[in-house]
Parts: sequence; C-alpha cells; structure tokens
Amino acid sequence: MDDTAGTTPGGGFDPRQAAALLDTSTRQARRAFTPLTPTLLAFRAVVVLVVFGGCWLSVRGQRPYTGHISGWAIAVAVVLVAINIGATAWVIGRAGTGVSGPAQRKWQAWTAIMTAAWIIGYAITAPLYHAGVSHPAWGLYPASAPLLIIGLAGAAIAAAFRYWLLAGILLAIAVVAAAAGLRGPAGSWLILGIGLCAVFLGAAAFTAWRQRRSVVRP
Amino acid sequence: MTAELDPLIHVPTRLRIVATLAALPDGDALSFTRLQDMLGLTPGNLIIQLRKLDDAGYISSTKTRNGSAQKTMVTLTSQGRAALRAYTQALRVLLGGLDIDVTPPGNTVDEISAEDPKVKQRAEIATRQESP
Repeated sequence: MDDTAGTTPGGGFDPRQAAALLDTSTRQARRAFTPLTPTLLAFRAVVVLVVFGGCWLSVRGQRPYTGHISGWAIAVAVVLVAINIGATAWVIGRAGTGVSGPAQRKWQAWTAIMTAAWIIGYAITAPLYHAGVSHPAWGLYPASAPLLIIGLAGAAIAAAFRYWLLAGILLAIAVVAAAAGLRGPAGSWLILGIGLCAVFLGAAAFTAWRQRRSVVRP
Repeated sequence: MTAELDPLIHVPTRLRIVATLAALPDGDALSFTRLQDMLGLTPGNLIIQLRKLDDAGYISSTKTRNGSAQKTMVTLTSQGRAALRAYTQALRVLLGGLDIDVTPPGNTVDEISAEDPKVKQRAEIATRQESP
C-alpha cells in the first residue's frame, strides 16, 4: 500500500492551509516592502496635530496678529519634524534594502524630487521674511502656502509616476491648505492641524486595509 | 468544476518564496540575503527551492560581483507571476466551492485545521503528485 495515497503534495498541505499561508506571506511581504506604513502615517497625523495645534495655541490670542510663535511651540515642532524625517528615512531605507530594479529606481527619483520640493517650498520663506512682508502675510505664508504649492505640484508628479495613493494624499493636503488659507492667519494653523491629521489618519487606515486584504478572497 | 494546484508552487516553502517575490513591483529583484532573512530559511534550503523554481522558469537569478563579495538577485518572472495568479485562482475555486472562510484575521497557518475531509478530498482530486 502506498503510504502517500490520499495526501496532497507538500505532505498534507491542503488548500485551506495554502490559502492561509499565501495570505500571510503576502501580507508580511507587503509590510516589509512598503515605504508608506500605517504606523508612520499615523505618527504623521500626531505630528501635524501637535505642531500646527501648538502654533495655533501660541498665536490665537494675538490682537493684532503678529505671527510670533512661542519658543516652546517652535521647539516641539523642530523635535517632532526631526523625528518624522528620521523615521521616514529609516522606513524607506528598510523597505528598499536588498531591492533593485526599475520600480525601485523610480521610487528613488520620486524621493529626491519631493525632498527638493519640501526644502525649496520652505526655504523661500527666508527671503520673504527678509523682504519685510507684513506680519499677517508672514504668518499665513508658512502655514498654508508651502503646503498648497507642494501639495498641488506633488500630486501632479505622483500622478505622473502612477503613485495614486500619494497623489491622493498630496491633493488632500493641498485642499486642506487652501481651506486653511481662507480662515485667516491665526485660524489657518488650527484648520491645518485638524485637517492634515484627518488626511494622515485616513491614509493610515486605507494603507492598513490594503496591506491586510486577502489575495485569495478578493 | 475542477481546478489544479500547480505542484511546484503548492509546497509551503516555495509558496512563501513566490508570494514574497510577487509583492515586489514587476521587474524588481530581491537579494538572496534579504529573501533569506524574510523567510527565515537556511541558505542551503533556499538554494534548493530557488533552483526548482528557476528550472521551471518561475524565477530568474543574476549574480553580480563587487570585489570579493558576490551578490545574488532573484526576480519573479512573468511566467512565475502568471503561475501564481493561476494557483491563486485555483485556490479560490477550490475553497469558494466549499464556501470556507479562508483566512480569519489573525489566524496563523498552524491554527487552521487540516482535518477537513471535504477539503482534503478536493485537494486529492485537484493536485498532481509531487514530493516537496
């Protein structure tokens, strides 16, 4: 009598086990290779809420508005932004370790373009400051304008790269920035904090769902 | 309706290899060392399984040398992607026909019973004989 009769290839590896293993392996790989992790996006939601919320708390009582932000709010912002940059670099580095090919090169090009866009978008606030713009304009510009410009330009570039999730996130950032700009210099900080927090939480939830969805059961 | 599970993929280790490589965008390659780290396999075991997949044309590997260090990159070929798609479709047919909840969230493979006689019967019909 054949001992293997009635067993499946793989020594009792039945289709249900195979489906579970396929899903588990796919999810693990998706998590390992993605530079957009739900945790990082959720952390960014906290960062924008605390940073922009802190700015709003320090300017909300200004009559007239001067745009002066408290030292503690600036310190908190610097620390959180630095942590965010470090965490982003670590996640991108981890996702790309040992990976090469056209998609990886495309992602590296995207990263370089967006890094330059963020630096340029905020660096031009310095000459604006030295040009002696009014306080309300100075207060409004760092809050909304860079995010509006970078959001729109970034969304267009992401769409050209066919990064649809990133295009959606950046477009949502631009919409929030435009809405914040309409609320005036002090209110814009609050709208940005709440609006961007919602955008990143939504993106985190969508990314988590996308990573977890089954490949066997669509 | 019958569905055949590709015996080359229907082996736990090779299924994990193919599923991992398929998570990369088409055309991208993964280093041997990262693949080994991700799967927790010994180099010898991984080499054996990769060779079988390579022989079938499901993966391709390229070796590059940088000084004394040699780096092996592994890619899932379009044939390998098509085979995984067909395998996944076959699983859907098999399990969908039995109306089984395939992957309850959080369950590991070990937690899923392999003792369902209906599933086993289907598997016997559907699969060809091959030892891993």
